[in-house]
Amino acid sequence: MRNAERLCLAHFWVAFAAFAGAAVLGVWQMWVRSPLGAQVGSPGHYFMSVTAHGVAMAYVLTTFFIMGFGYFVAVTALDRPLPGKVWAWAGFWLGVIGVVLAVLAIGRGEATVLFTFYPPLTASVWFYLGLVLVVAASWIWCVLMIVAMADWKRENPGQPAPLAMFATVANAVMWLWTTVGVAAELVFQVIPASLGLVQTIDVGLSRTLFSWTLHAIVYFWLLPAYTAFYTLAPRAAGGRLYSDTMGRLTFILFLVYSLPVGMHHLMMDPEHGNGLKFLQTLLTVFVTVPTLLTIFTITASFEIAGRLRGGRGAFGWIRTLPWHRPMVLATGLAFVMLGFGGFGGIVNNGYGMNAMVHNTSWVTAHFHLIFGGSVVIMYFAIAYEIWPRLTGREHLSPAPLRLQLWLWFIGMMVMTVPWHWLGLQGQWRRVANFNYADPIIAGWGPWVIVSLAGGVILLISAMLFVRNLAVLHRSPAPAVARPLYALAVHPPQRVPAALNGFGLWNILVLVLMVAAYGWPILQFVIDPSPGAIVHRTQWP
Amino acid sequence: MTEHRQQPISEPHVLDQPWRLWSSIAIGGILLLGILLGVVIIPVVQGRGAGLDAYTAICRALGILPGSPAQPQPSTQFPATPVSQVVWTADVLQILSNADPRRGYEKVQEVCVSCHGEKGDSVGPDFPHLAGQSGAAIYKQLYDYRTGSRTNPMMTDVAKALDEKAIADVAAYYAAQPKRNLNPRSLGESPPNIVQLVELGDPNRNIPPCAACHRAGAAGPIETPILSEQRTEYLVAQLKAYASGERRNDVYGRMRTIASQLTDAEINGLAAYYRAGFK
Repeated sequence: MRNAERLCLAHFWVAFAAFAGAAVLGVWQMWVRSPLGAQVGSPGHYFMSVTAHGVAMAYVLTTFFIMGFGYFVAVTALDRPLPGKVWAWAGFWLGVIGVVLAVLAIGRGEATVLFTFYPPLTASVWFYLGLVLVVAASWIWCVLMIVAMADWKRENPGQPAPLAMFATVANAVMWLWTTVGVAAELVFQVIPASLGLVQTIDVGLSRTLFSWTLHAIVYFWLLPAYTAFYTLAPRAAGGRLYSDTMGRLTFILFLVYSLPVGMHHLMMDPEHGNGLKFLQTLLTVFVTVPTLLTIFTITASFEIAGRLRGGRGAFGWIRTLPWHRPMVLATGLAFVMLGFGGFGGIVNNGYGMNAMVHNTSWVTAHFHLIFGGSVVIMYFAIAYEIWPRLTGREHLSPAPLRLQLWLWFIGMMVMTVPWHWLGLQGQWRRVANFNYADPIIAGWGPWVIVSLAGGVILLISAMLFVRNLAVLHRSPAPAVARPLYALAVHPPQRVPAALNGFGLWNILVLVLMVAAYGWPILQFVIDPSPGAIVHRTQWP
Repeated sequence: MTEHRQQPISEPHVLDQPWRLWSSIAIGGILLLGILLGVVIIPVVQGRGAGLDAYTAICRALGILPGSPAQPQPSTQFPATPVSQVVWTADVLQILSNADPRRGYEKVQEVCVSCHGEKGDSVGPDFPHLAGQSGAAIYKQLYDYRTGSRTNPMMTDVAKALDEKAIADVAAYYAAQPKRNLNPRSLGESPPNIVQLVELGDPNRNIPPCAACHRAGAAGPIETPILSEQRTEYLVAQLKAYASGERRNDVYGRMRTIASQLTDAEINGLAAYYRAGFK
């Protein structure tokens, strides 16, 4: 799979280059908002940096990592060559061109709209076109994933698709649904505004369309982590997957319930009735189900591994787990962060509590802990796990890998716990600086400095991560051949079609989306609200 | 069903059908429950407390009618009267951007020059400087005089004689004039409590920082006037008019809320501060 390895590595290195740059920006942002750097830079610089940080972390790191990992899974789990390799490379370069366009627009100060756009703020059209190219690249990836699994199924009639591939295709199918919202927003509203074809923009509609994408996009980023939980972690722990069916159900539930729930990002928005907000809140509750299934299944899988390694008693198996292996350690740390972040998310989903934490640092803390913490630490673990396969070389010692993972965990907790606390005290987000001369705000200062310290630890960890991968390319130790994917305790012989494909679930997603988003979108067409005047961003 | 069409349990469709059926029922059931609770049961029950009939409550829950089913809204039956007739629509912005300063200059020579000066440097303490003022701010004030949202013995008649296009032209002309340059040596230091009001406001009195909207040589949102280097006497008069409610064309009553909290000494201090060009 020489060519496929190059394909995967190309995607991963674009992802991690963006990650390293964005990590530096993140710390700079924390510094200028802290009492230590309060006089540094202008709000213009700050928001430009936030835009670049968000685009790099949320669009470039994720999309390129997920594409690279998907290609890897398609080749290794299906054990057959990747169909359409030329298309895959075309997608890669399309994405790279998109990233360059977007980064140039941000650097010129023409795209300071943050990565979630915020119409009627309008950036240079090159910024949006760049992001459209990245999304188009990911669509090519989606099609290739679906085709790869369909080809495999044709060659293996009646056989259950390998769980890793099933999960990857679930993510691809979900991503196709997910991007419809933001694509409609860009094509019909934002790009015409940025070209000057229209002078006003219906902000209620654009927020609604973005909310369609906004929650599911997080699950797009999350699913590779869950794929690793189910397929890589149990094997790395030396055990077996407790239940293959639980895995399939989990990915299906993510597909079904990540989409019709985005309105919980609009709880405080006036453009929707309470009834529709309630419906989507109720559906959001069901998003916790696949996570709870996963925590149960993976804990059970780890218990099997721990007991096989001689663990006794109710909790003795935890001690005997091979925590020195990066994948096992990362899974444990990810679960801790998932626990804190998950409970924070349930708070966000409560209407009354949402009113209190809305637009405060609590929200920033929540998504950094869940995505930057549990998800990205699994990206690290996945990279450490598959890098020997891609490069043919072995890590000389797992010690720097473990150090890096621990630093990431500690840094993320130190950064986000004070953020949550500050959010509860009313510290607002999306502001460039705080006036620490104000006695109320002065009280926040020490906590802001603590979270900055967490940010610095994260930056050290990010640099160590890049170093760990870079040195592997020159490692003298050849890769040791070992199985990658975990076997289930009861490997599936035959599974119902519903657990082996997505036809039924696509129909159900359609039904849910029509119910949850049909009227909320249609109301803007039937009775358009007054448009907001387009505001073009410019430097400074 | 005939005997030979029966399949053993391991055959795919025997395995598949219950999954299709029960997962559809489960997901559809949850959806229906959500719709029933969110759109029917909860709003109808809440609506009773708010004195709403079931139909109104359901329409509000759907967003067809404005307001929440949980509260009596609107709180008053009196129709709201806007404090200004100016709406920043795309059409108005188009009129502003198509305004012609040369035509504006002719109108200025005809009407405005005797008080506001040819270049926008006013001739007396009661008349505001207009040089370098935001065009949108001048437009709004003239329009408000025209519609009666703001009144002044002289300006009301002047503005009523101008049509919307002429207003935009005059605004564009004065906006294009260079800002005044004061001699910094003639300006005194501002007392710390005034600097504090400008930069931090006073949360205890619900006063936001002046500088949140009125900054050095700039202002926002769109209709906000630039106050730096404005005449002290004019600023004092306007703050007092806001405080007493005599002037009321400020959207959301923002300036009335603020000005009514200020002492006379603060009003004088702020006016002096802004006269100094917002150091």
